[in-house]
Amino acid sequence: MQAANRTPWQITVGVWQALFLREAVARLSADRVAWIWLIAEPIAHVVILVWFRTLIGRVRLVPGAEYIPWLVIGITTFIMFRNQMNRGMQAISANRGLFAYRQVQPVDTVLARCGLEGMLSTLVFTLIIFLFSLVGYHLMPHHPLHVLHIWASVWVFGMGVALIFSVVVTALPEAAKFISMLMFPVYFLSGVMIPVQYFPHDLQQYLLYNPMLHAIELIRTGFFETYRPVDGVSAMYLHYWVWCALFLGLLFQLRYKQRLLAQ
Amino acid sequence: MIEVRNLYKRYHGPFGGDWVLKDVNFTIPDNVSVGILGRNGAGKSTLLRIIGGMDAADKGSVVRNSRVSWPIGLGGGFQGSMTGRQNVKFVARIHGGGDRIPEIIQRVQEFAEIGKAFDQSVKTYSSGMRSRLAFGLSLAFDFDVYLSDEATAVGDVAFKAKATKAFQDQVGKASIIMVSHQVGMLKDLCQAGVWISEGKAIWFDDIHEAIKRYHESIGK
Repeated sequence: MQAANRTPWQITVGVWQALFLREAVARLSADRVAWIWLIAEPIAHVVILVWFRTLIGRVRLVPGAEYIPWLVIGITTFIMFRNQMNRGMQAISANRGLFAYRQVQPVDTVLARCGLEGMLSTLVFTLIIFLFSLVGYHLMPHHPLHVLHIWASVWVFGMGVALIFSVVVTALPEAAKFISMLMFPVYFLSGVMIPVQYFPHDLQQYLLYNPMLHAIELIRTGFFETYRPVDGVSAMYLHYWVWCALFLGLLFQLRYKQRLLAQ
Repeated sequence: MIEVRNLYKRYHGPFGGDWVLKDVNFTIPDNVSVGILGRNGAGKSTLLRIIGGMDAADKGSVVRNSRVSWPIGLGGGFQGSMTGRQNVKFVARIHGGGDRIPEIIQRVQEFAEIGKAFDQSVKTYSSGMRSRLAFGLSLAFDFDVYLSDEATAVGDVAFKAKATKAFQDQVGKASIIMVSHQVGMLKDLCQAGVWISEGKAIWFDDIHEAIKRYHESIGK
């Protein structure tokens, strides 16, 4: 085949397509339950949390929203962010063999993997909305555009964080353990399962530093007309984090490219 | 034409590292095949990786005015969890294969002759099968310069003959830069030679002289 003269942009797009297809095959055929787990995981989280709350007998109402749809939205949004981060930061080491081709840059592997992960999550989210609507829960978005806006922001945020952590994890493999452990408190403090409204006001001030809390509260306001998020939630604050993470991540990839390739 | 100018390379370990290549200079004219010689660890593969654009030099530069392949050889280039076919498709896509992918797959399959293993994951391959696939894959693209890092070392006699013939057919169209310890193959395929020793590279217009010099240095 004659290798045509291609522009850098054409080469990059070709690499993204190839990596995307490779990641899709690897993700969906990794093991026997890989594809069903995509949907089963968020539902399993919901079931366990609802059961847990019933067990301790503290099923309280969330002001302005039904409890289960409220939970489903929080969990699905958070799982998308977590998957982007966890899988995105492993992308470089998982594709090491492919850096033999100079067209493939470390940053491409992270972007392709996060792109795929986001698309799968979007598909799963849509399916879950339909599934829960079918069994009678009210889960249709009240402001679809607002939901899309926040969903896309979380997607980009996950990508940015994955870009940063993929550099950290490749340079210091031990860091992966701490980063995974860090996700556990973030999960609890993002208002996924416990409404942050119930925390004391002094504590809320500190919890509001967490951008994922903003994202999850904001996406809920898009679903429920009467839902009132915690005071101080702002889309602007979320956007600061999203764009800072993305640009810092791209900067890291540019700065440490040689080191990432040489490992 | 490939021009290597004032090339320096060292590996950065946690406690620093010694220079692997120190001030390497040479120019490879078009259509001249070059054999790279040197003892183990002399920096041959490193030089080839830098020429192929896989690794960057610490100082100096490499000017490539032609289409250069990736370094074909034992070390990597395939994703173990994917099948041979998927790997070939992947490489065809990143090289802008487009709608010619089926044709490329056909060519690789014919050259590699690994039968049913083509649809099994690469991690199950023997080193000989891997090198057959890698070699066939690189030949499916028309590069001006092929880089070979012991690409045929583990192949059987039939494969070595086939590989040599494939390169001899390319004479006039493409050249090769090869790292090898197989003297016969170097003499068959290369005209010029580079001997690497203690971080320096010495250019020889005649491969026989380079081999002679290398053998003297190892006391053979």
